[in-house]
Amino acid sequence: MSEEENVMVRTKDLEKTYTVSDGKTVVGLEDLTFDIPRGSFVVICGPSGSGKTTLLNILSGIDRPTKGEVQVNGQDLTGKDEDFLADFRCLHTGFVFQAYNLVSTLTVAENIAFPMEWLRKTPQEIETRVSELLSSVGLADRENHFPSQLSGGEQQRVAFARALANDPELILADEPTGNLDSKNAERILKVLQELKEKGKTVIVSTHEKQVREFADIVITLKNGRVVTDSE
Amino acid sequence: MNSGAGFPVNDLFRRRFQTGLAITTLTLSVSSTLFLLFFISRLGLGGSFSAKTLTLGLNSIFSQFNFFLGGLIFLVGIVLTSFIVFLMMTQRTRDFGLIKAAGCPNSLVAGYFMTELLTLSFIGCSLGLFFGFIFDYATSIFIFSEYQLVNWWLAPVIFIVFLVLAIFFGLQPIFKVSKMSAAAALSQAKYFGLSDEFSFKSSRIKLGWRIAVRSLFRRKTATIRIILFLSVVFALLTVSVTGGIVAKDTTNDWLGNSVSDGIVAVADSNFGRQYELLLSKFNSGKEVEDFNYTDPELGVKSDVIDAICLMTFVESVDPRLIVYGHVKEIANFTVAEDSMQILPVGDHREGDCLVIGVDPQNIDNVGAMKGRFLSSNDSLTAVIGDSVSQSMYSPSPSRYVVLSDPLVQSIQFNNTNFQIVGLCVDPLNNGFVTYVPLEKMMATTGLDRPNIVFIKIADSYPVDRAVEELKNIVQNVDSSLDVFDFREIVKQNSDFLSSIWSIILFLPVFSLISASLCIVGYLMLSIEEQRHEFGALRAIGAKPRVIFSISVIQSASVIFSGFAVGTSLGVIIALMILIADPVVTSSSIAIIICWILSGLIGIFLLSLYPSFKLAKTSILKLLS
Repeated sequence: MSEEENVMVRTKDLEKTYTVSDGKTVVGLEDLTFDIPRGSFVVICGPSGSGKTTLLNILSGIDRPTKGEVQVNGQDLTGKDEDFLADFRCLHTGFVFQAYNLVSTLTVAENIAFPMEWLRKTPQEIETRVSELLSSVGLADRENHFPSQLSGGEQQRVAFARALANDPELILADEPTGNLDSKNAERILKVLQELKEKGKTVIVSTHEKQVREFADIVITLKNGRVVTDSE
Repeated sequence: MNSGAGFPVNDLFRRRFQTGLAITTLTLSVSSTLFLLFFISRLGLGGSFSAKTLTLGLNSIFSQFNFFLGGLIFLVGIVLTSFIVFLMMTQRTRDFGLIKAAGCPNSLVAGYFMTELLTLSFIGCSLGLFFGFIFDYATSIFIFSEYQLVNWWLAPVIFIVFLVLAIFFGLQPIFKVSKMSAAAALSQAKYFGLSDEFSFKSSRIKLGWRIAVRSLFRRKTATIRIILFLSVVFALLTVSVTGGIVAKDTTNDWLGNSVSDGIVAVADSNFGRQYELLLSKFNSGKEVEDFNYTDPELGVKSDVIDAICLMTFVESVDPRLIVYGHVKEIANFTVAEDSMQILPVGDHREGDCLVIGVDPQNIDNVGAMKGRFLSSNDSLTAVIGDSVSQSMYSPSPSRYVVLSDPLVQSIQFNNTNFQIVGLCVDPLNNGFVTYVPLEKMMATTGLDRPNIVFIKIADSYPVDRAVEELKNIVQNVDSSLDVFDFREIVKQNSDFLSSIWSIILFLPVFSLISASLCIVGYLMLSIEEQRHEFGALRAIGAKPRVIFSISVIQSASVIFSGFAVGTSLGVIIALMILIADPVVTSSSIAIIICWILSGLIGIFLLSLYPSFKLAKTSILKLLS
């Protein structure tokens, strides 16, 4: 594998600014330039408002940078239209939101299945994959339940299963343990480690020290800038 | 936490979008109802717009039609108001739970939300009254070129009814949520008034459909209410359009019969002009009041009629003797079918009208009939106009007249009784006419000559040329005579009637606009509550068109359900109130279908706006 192919994420002079209601510009991210190799476990940390979630959103194609370039899994996301980014999110990334963001009108199984339905996979493929994922997160007996009937930890696990549905190369998790008790947090960290072992690239934003212990790379942000970068 | 009214007011400002939408919809509901009821009043239901024109029979049809429209418009307003406040307050369930969970006593939280409800309802209803008057004033000036306040009492009635309804329906979710525990109010299942019963679990349908349909099922109450609202709107549209177009065609057909194509008249020039005024009274004219109909000089001599008969283009000649006279109602008796009791029919009412002697064998132009027209074997029979029937032969509680039916009664003129055999709609003298056999008419009046002669011109012969030739012939014999072509007046009458029907047909357009804005409001609120989930779907990889299609499926489901129920109801109501023997042509059916489909398509297209807006919204904004 060439050095170029070994890079999962590449950013160059990345910048994100917001215009707030009084017309002032607020810097979200500034001059971010870094590479993340494939198969690494990356932790983005920093205080609240430092730009962790903004960075994850840009890397996943949910948000667009104001300036600079982003390449993920060999795909240049700069200046791409919404349909391209939707396909990119569906095919190449799995995002675990801090607030889970499960669709309340779909059952647990359907929440996991719907990213696969957009890729027009066969019902047999989808069923097999959903069973596999439900077993891996320990929710095989809850497949017909709705999100409102699950606890916070269970919803987080469904969110993980959904993120893995299309077997993406890149997993992004925004504060995945922030709302969980220590037992559930450990379970999630174990899942993340297993993913890394399977060769997936995992990027986690957190401010918990426990998570940093698993990291290959830690990117610390402060006021939208990288403060330290260690391997 | 603020105390008193501070918190509710701040809360309303904080939720500017929802507050604005709720006030706008409530204002629209009250103002459109008030405006439409004012407008209907002007058109005839207790108003004065058509009181001095048209025949009483046609006025009665308009009143009946307007009464149904008024009822439906009122119903639209009520359903819309109840729906909006219910939806608005149901969406506060979670906030209620949050405040309760923070330790605020139940009574205080309920008080906050009641204050919000009262504030919104009062502002919405007050603005509704204000705009209702403004719309009414602007429309009156634009259409009738004058403003005169009619039935002003409708304003306080509507204000009170709508305010009470808004408070009543808005309090229901407040009381419901006040009985819930904080945990239940905060629960996702109760969020936005969701049902916690998920009974619809089929997964054989496509993802977009699954989410859309489940979302509608989940918000059962709101979905049922919007379908109910749209049903009433489509029922209103169907009744006004179907009834209006059929009634327009039917009444225009009646008018067309008053003076058929190819008929001209020969009469003394003064009498002819008076006849023109009597005919145009239907739309605006006024006859010469002290005109002497019995003047023997007005009679058309027999040698004139003989000369006319000799002309090649004349197909038939219809001589008439018209006088203005005093007529009396002759009561009768009937036997009740169930009790075999003998019951009186009618009374002894009197009135003035044109009495027209016609030769039944030669008659060419007769308006629409109930019963039959005079036949050649008739001697002492009469056909009365609809205005005579309405004014002298209808049940009258004030005179204790319970049973009244002109077809079993008689009419007296110059001490001669004529048995009534039919009713007609005749624009002449606004329907205040009575037809009797010419022979008996001459006998009772002592006049031996007709004062007007109608001539049917052969279809192949140009009417204008026939008029010129007739003029030469009749004026050679009697220079006081002239030839009259009434086609222009008949056209004016027909146009006038059409314009009134057009104005009535315009009413559902306002309701449609109101319904369209309401459906947009509903969809915006509906999208607002699902915003986060749509954001999640987009973040996971759903393209904007997937989200757009979910939103469109939801709006299409409620609109088409409302359309199906509403048009079915509308057709039933329209059949119930349609006039007897309606004229229904294939073109009128096509126009009706076009109108109703346009309404459906219009509402549907407008409902796409929130969906487009949703598809354009960024994921982060949706998720925020």
